[in-house]
Amino acid sequence: MSQIVEEIRQAYARVGITLDQPAAYGTYYRLLCAGCGRMVGNVGDKLLPDMAQALVDEQFDLYASGLLGCPCGHQKEQTRALDGPRWTRAQQTLGA
Amino acid sequence: MAKPDHQAMSEMRVIEDAEQRGRTDLWPFWRKAYAQGDPLPRLECKVSRPVHRFDEGDPLPEEYKGLLLKMLRHEGERAGNKSFLGLMGTCLEIAEALFPTPETKLLKAEYLAEELKHAIMFHRLAVGLQHDFALRDVPYAHYSFHLPRESWADDAFFHFFVDLNGAFHSRDWRESSYVPLQKMAATVERDELGHSEMGYYFLTEICQDRRGRILAQRILAKWYPAALDMFGRSDSPNAPKFIHWGLKSVDNAEIRRLYKEYVDRKLVALGLDVPDERKNRRFL
Repeated sequence: MSQIVEEIRQAYARVGITLDQPAAYGTYYRLLCAGCGRMVGNVGDKLLPDMAQALVDEQFDLYASGLLGCPCGHQKEQTRALDGPRWTRAQQTLGA
Repeated sequence: MAKPDHQAMSEMRVIEDAEQRGRTDLWPFWRKAYAQGDPLPRLECKVSRPVHRFDEGDPLPEEYKGLLLKMLRHEGERAGNKSFLGLMGTCLEIAEALFPTPETKLLKAEYLAEELKHAIMFHRLAVGLQHDFALRDVPYAHYSFHLPRESWADDAFFHFFVDLNGAFHSRDWRESSYVPLQKMAATVERDELGHSEMGYYFLTEICQDRRGRILAQRILAKWYPAALDMFGRSDSPNAPKFIHWGLKSVDNAEIRRLYKEYVDRKLVALGLDVPDERKNRRFL
């Protein structure tokens, strides 16, 4: 696994999203809900260094409010456990 | 062995016929856009340069061929490019996993069919240029092709911005000194503009309600810098060479400026705030 792919894997693991096995000739990866296994998106392996963590962090409020993430609510719960005060602010700002 | 030109043209007419039968009120999206006049700005070369014109089979100067291949490697839409097919595979998966309505899913299917048409067109061009290039796998190097797509809005921005980049480059190829590219440029431009309009149509739908608009505004911060970065560095040392050989008309900064004017106008029309153009940029 390349360093960038490992970065991506770690960044998404924090919010309850698993990086699947490489698809599409090894360039792209499915993003799966760590709670129920449903596909929630995909990502490529040519992000720049430190980009994955920054992108996932920027999306924290969107996972918290349910605007991104699996309909099963796993990412919503993961972000609540990660940072309760930020999660509450996201509910107030973006709505549940 | 390459097929005779008339045979290849006949095959393209069969594809065009199939396309005609796929028309709906919405598809192809380029139809409405061009019916209102030329949607894209003129890309006018402002420096003095010699006139070059090379057709398939002509001996090409080494530097010219190198630049042309470099450009086509970036373009990527080739039937023999595994990474292009992989990218299309991700589009299929997104359509399967995240589609909001059956209508949108069908639109994505039309999009994929049209991109595969381009793959055939660029395959022909590649075969005519250098046989072993036709089967070369060239993964998309730019990070914009690799950004995570986790919502239909992500996918809509991907099409709005990334396919539009293709439309702008194809507009420039209308004046290309490489005749096979110049010949197909208008079709590719039109289609790519349509793909961008498809993304814009999805964004229009998404922005109809408050939560959709919030989502679009937030993830615009991810897509906007990537879209502007796609044109490369403004001080690229290769730009003057491309212009000299007639492979491009304008440099990276100029085509980015015109692109930015275009997308900013459309983003404002959606009710979105245009991000700071320098924020999170990697290739200025």
